[in-house]
Amino acid sequence: MASPTVQRRTSAPASQLARWMQKFRAALGRPLIAVLVAFVLGGIIIMITTPGPLDNRFITAVSTYYYLIAGSFGSLQSISYTLAKATPLIFAGLAVAIAYRAGLFNIGAAGQLTVGSMVAGIIGIQLAALPGWLLVPLMLLGSMVAGGIWGGIVGVLKAWRGAHEVVTSIMLNWTAFYVCAFLVEGPFQAPKLSQQTLPMAPQATIPSLAILYNQTLGTFLPQIPDPAQYTVDAGLLIAFVAMLVYWFITARTTFGYELRVIGQNPKAARYAGISVRKNIVMVMFMAGAFAGLAGAVRLMGQAPYQLISSAFSTDSTGFDAIGVALLGRTTSIGVLLASLLFGGLQQAGPYLQSYVDVPGDIITIMQALVLFSIAIEYLPSLQRFMPSFLVKSSRPPLVPSLITTKPAEEKGEADMQAVESGHRATSDTVEKTGLKPTSSGQEE
Amino acid sequence: MFFPILGRVLISADFWQASLQFAALLLLPALGGLLSERSGVINLAMEGLMLIGAYVGVMMAIATHSVWLGVLGAVIAGGLLALVHAIVSINFMANQTVSGIAINLAALGLTNFLLPIQTQGQGIRALDDALRLPQLHWGPLANIPFIGPVLFQQNIIFYVAIIILVGIQFLLFRTNIGLRIRAVGEHPHAADTAGVNVRLVRYACVVSSGLLSGLAGAFLSLGIAGIFNQNMTAGQGYIALAAVIFGKYTPVGAAAACLVFGLGEALSPRLQDTGISANLLGTLPYLLTLVALVGLVGRTTAPAADGVPYEPASE
Repeated sequence: MASPTVQRRTSAPASQLARWMQKFRAALGRPLIAVLVAFVLGGIIIMITTPGPLDNRFITAVSTYYYLIAGSFGSLQSISYTLAKATPLIFAGLAVAIAYRAGLFNIGAAGQLTVGSMVAGIIGIQLAALPGWLLVPLMLLGSMVAGGIWGGIVGVLKAWRGAHEVVTSIMLNWTAFYVCAFLVEGPFQAPKLSQQTLPMAPQATIPSLAILYNQTLGTFLPQIPDPAQYTVDAGLLIAFVAMLVYWFITARTTFGYELRVIGQNPKAARYAGISVRKNIVMVMFMAGAFAGLAGAVRLMGQAPYQLISSAFSTDSTGFDAIGVALLGRTTSIGVLLASLLFGGLQQAGPYLQSYVDVPGDIITIMQALVLFSIAIEYLPSLQRFMPSFLVKSSRPPLVPSLITTKPAEEKGEADMQAVESGHRATSDTVEKTGLKPTSSGQEE
Repeated sequence: MFFPILGRVLISADFWQASLQFAALLLLPALGGLLSERSGVINLAMEGLMLIGAYVGVMMAIATHSVWLGVLGAVIAGGLLALVHAIVSINFMANQTVSGIAINLAALGLTNFLLPIQTQGQGIRALDDALRLPQLHWGPLANIPFIGPVLFQQNIIFYVAIIILVGIQFLLFRTNIGLRIRAVGEHPHAADTAGVNVRLVRYACVVSSGLLSGLAGAFLSLGIAGIFNQNMTAGQGYIALAAVIFGKYTPVGAAAACLVFGLGEALSPRLQDTGISANLLGTLPYLLTLVALVGLVGRTTAPAADGVPYEPASE
């Protein structure tokens, strides 16, 4: 834990650069390896399942990746589609990530997202007479509160009743799917249609980013020609704000610091006078609020601008968010990059069938492989099989552990001292060394 | 209007038969997950293990024209996929929650990916009766009013599930092996000192969870549905996980929890006539579980070493 503080004293620009490089490698190295390994394995799966001689199979695999890249980032238009797919993933990814900081596994983002979109939709339908500048913030706020309450329930049950958050979130997910399906097919049903609400009124939607640009900056900067072909909506800007807020909360506030302490060692947190219960409820409320926004932004930003009852339980955003948060190492930039990757895959996947005759579901397999790769952490696993003198230092693990509460007894004292020696200083070391002290704990 | 219909449903044999069938379907993966958790490996993968079992079961049954080879294939497929979870979490010391989610995603992706390839985009037609798991009919016992249809006219896997339930309850709490499993889950270092092969026990338990979940998948596709649909498990593996925790990590408790879910699942479509929305009724089992978790069951304690990879002290 001490090594980063030693390095900080050297101030020559060269070592500054070296430190940046090291930071960069520590932050991106493992996710990149994970993605790379997943893509190689995905290519092998394609080669196994495609008919024909080996050469053809290889060509199919390579062209699959070509079309994946071309379909997601190949043109401005496809980039805008990818960004539109990534926007809700950013919010939902932050929802999983912030809970993960406190050692909570928020598998309930799907339900929180559903409730958030439902409440945003109800506000949009009921108060459609309001002007847009009032209605849109109201809908966003409503979705945050609704998602927050849905997440907060999990927090309350966890904090006061010790109910396992995975079980309660799964129950609340299905409750949310069914209740919202009831609302869509009942009180808020569109006339003559069975399974959807009316589309949101134009002033209750988030405008497309390109059109918004043309109307504002475009008045004195060059206009974007034919803005309607770029589907990404201004929800992306809201996602950037959410990322900033997330960064601020987790890196610059006492609350964010307390979350990490709880995530690493709840026992030490309690001894240090941190209210674990209050923080658990608060973090689950925030997680729910992020997820709620994901639902609202997708409802308001993308066609068909209406709620469809059968889509609630089949929507995979809430579960993809788990991968996004883990791949992004629960940092806001990481979540953004992971969302772009997953969003890009989901954008390009459906076209694979027609271009290279590979079922589009190969992207689901790739996402699973990415998750596996993150979970396995090849480097430390390989290091374990290497002679000890080859292993110079242990870098922070990619995925913060959920299981740090278990070895608390042995580590309690050390962490206590760390906590007592001052919030500021420890929060720095925690930041440098990653999220989980168990690996260092295990080596001691 | 509501209560007469509810009463009529509650005394109908058809309702209880369906409840027990759902309960048995959930019980198999729940018992598997329970074994895995008891040995100290968190297992969220039952959803994916069931799905792969359901898929391979149907494919094997069609390919070999034998439902039993289909079941065998399903069980083996579940076991193999669980083996991945075991290797990843025991040898590579991966985050077990993440690995479980990845297995579920992989199973969903694989089945959706392979289905159009193996059927040339046709999908699977409904299976013939010969390729479906048989409903047993226990002679004169099956003709007893009410009890007969409920208990003695079930699918064969129902009875298998009951036998496995009794077997695992006995295994865990009445045998040396069970003692070892529990010791490994509670305090692996102590178990290791006492000469128990911690990793072997964990491997066996995780793979068993795959075998049982695979069997449940075959029950679903070859028994209950008679067809394979994309993502046909639809979250039931997660419900089984909930049943494990709800049942306080005991086989009998898990069985009781599965029965609650089974009742809820069988009840909601049968109360349509009351005019209450099927969607609202659908929330019943989940809300029941929440209330039970909060009010009745209280704190559930997972095995002490659940989710902690085991590293021998010498390393």
